Amino acid sequence: MSRTSAQWTQKPKLPPTHYADPVIYSDPDIFGEEKEKIFRKVWHLAVHESEVANPYDYRVYQHPGGTQLVIVRGEDRKIRTFYNICPHRGNLLVYEPAGNAKKLVCIFHQWAFNGKGDCIDIPRGEAGYQERLCKSDVSLKEVRTEVGYGGFVWVNLDDNCGTLAEHIGPALDYMLPELEAEPLETLWYYQAHLNTNFKLIHDTNSEFYHDYLHYYNRVTGMLDPKSGYFQRKYTAFPNGHASVGSMEVKYDAYKGSGRSELGWPQLPHKGWKLVDLFPCITFNLRTSVLRIDSYIPLAPDHVILEFRILGLKSDSAGQRRQREKDAAVIWSPFGRNLHEDLLASSGQGAAMAQGSEPMYVLQAREEDHTIHDEVGMRHYLAEWSRRMGRSASNPLAVPLARAHAA
Amino acid sequence: MNANRTQVEELVYDTCMLLDARDFKGFLGHCDQQFEYRLSAYSPEIKREMTWLDHDRAEMEDLFQTLPKHNTDPSPLTRNAVVYKVTVEETGKRASVVSALQVFKTAVNGGVTQLFAIGKYFDTVALDGDAPRLLARHVKLDTRDLGWGHHIPF
Repeated sequence: MSRTSAQWTQKPKLPPTHYADPVIYSDPDIFGEEKEKIFRKVWHLAVHESEVANPYDYRVYQHPGGTQLVIVRGEDRKIRTFYNICPHRGNLLVYEPAGNAKKLVCIFHQWAFNGKGDCIDIPRGEAGYQERLCKSDVSLKEVRTEVGYGGFVWVNLDDNCGTLAEHIGPALDYMLPELEAEPLETLWYYQAHLNTNFKLIHDTNSEFYHDYLHYYNRVTGMLDPKSGYFQRKYTAFPNGHASVGSMEVKYDAYKGSGRSELGWPQLPHKGWKLVDLFPCITFNLRTSVLRIDSYIPLAPDHVILEFRILGLKSDSAGQRRQREKDAAVIWSPFGRNLHEDLLASSGQGAAMAQGSEPMYVLQAREEDHTIHDEVGMRHYLAEWSRRMGRSASNPLAVPLARAHAA
Repeated sequence: MNANRTQVEELVYDTCMLLDARDFKGFLGHCDQQFEYRLSAYSPEIKREMTWLDHDRAEMEDLFQTLPKHNTDPSPLTRNAVVYKVTVEETGKRASVVSALQVFKTAVNGGVTQLFAIGKYFDTVALDGDAPRLLARHVKLDTRDLGWGHHIPF
């Protein structure tokens, strides 16, 4: 029997840890709080070191907390991150997404800065400022930066944050042998603007029950009882991270899969490992390709997804081509799985838009933490609730205005 | 030369119409047995060409056969090509063809049309048969953000 409005919006008869109030996916004030309490406080994966391989290389990064950053490899080869803003009149310091420059020069008035963030030139400085302001007063704002876990460059806007290792904890230990077997290289970087909430996409990465969405995954895993698919287990780690156990993927069960025998150092043959990091990063290593998802939430209903595909720096041209072919089958913008994942997440965003009277969202499957258990999402929202100071199943119990004041 | 150019232009335009209609068999009917398809985009962020599709003819056939089993955006695409340049080899047996490409998407729900992608076709066409055949197509996209993406090749 269909439901009335009161029945539709009634809380499920489940523990409050097993469902989410849909308002967390659409409310602008909650999104504002997420920026302050989560995005500006945690470590984010900004770029890979191969994208700033040489001295004076730089890459820009739009931080999820709302600040434009520029990541620079200095003359001393150290990678540093700065606010991408000229301290003079607040213009963007760097406009190009990537480049190489011995000094960063603002186009507006030609103020110049070196790779350590020092101001090294102010045109007609003494004539205009006399003794009142000197170059050392106007250096760039540096941002906490660490490189690790496969050569990724991580940043944190909070000057007083803990270390990256404290944030990651043991969550990536499971994948470290593969991540650090050889230097990696970014083969693809692309973005996708989507009208949905960032958590809905991360939810999709945090549960495998949605393999029913993917014909490709059904035939290469679920339909083969010997694949180990249903034995894969979730492991929850502190700070909201989780990993999923490996399996042997049966690529030859999909006609035209194109998956090669290339493999990945240390990864079991045709293996598949996945780690989700709070609040919006996924490491997904599947046979021969490492895919990294990271998000730049712009609004409660608008997110930029960043996709990276990585291979090995030592790859020959032929190996690189094969790795790209392997990635393309499921993960390019034309790939079988990515399009399906993003359709589903966007559909959720449309159906649960603010004011649409959506129901509570179920995250209640319990299967001894195996592959169709929804413990990954529950673990994520437990950390979200802790950081936000409000329960994901009853977020408005703490008034938003009071939360802002606090 | 003029006859060849007209035939080549009609080949390019027909492939667009066939793909728009999701008539994959018809599209492959214009492709040589040695046909190779590649779709790529250049990333200024990493200064690298990214190859998002890379198939020979058999792999294209497999792709087209499996697509109906997937969940795909049903919104139709409209490919608008303009043949810029046809360069026929001295032997007269092959031509290199450069065409501008715009792909529009019309939402199946409501009918709003939006520009989806722009780029170019770089085609190699065989001229030694009764009708021109596609030997190779390289789609070079300028657009890199394709939103939730699409399953049907451009």
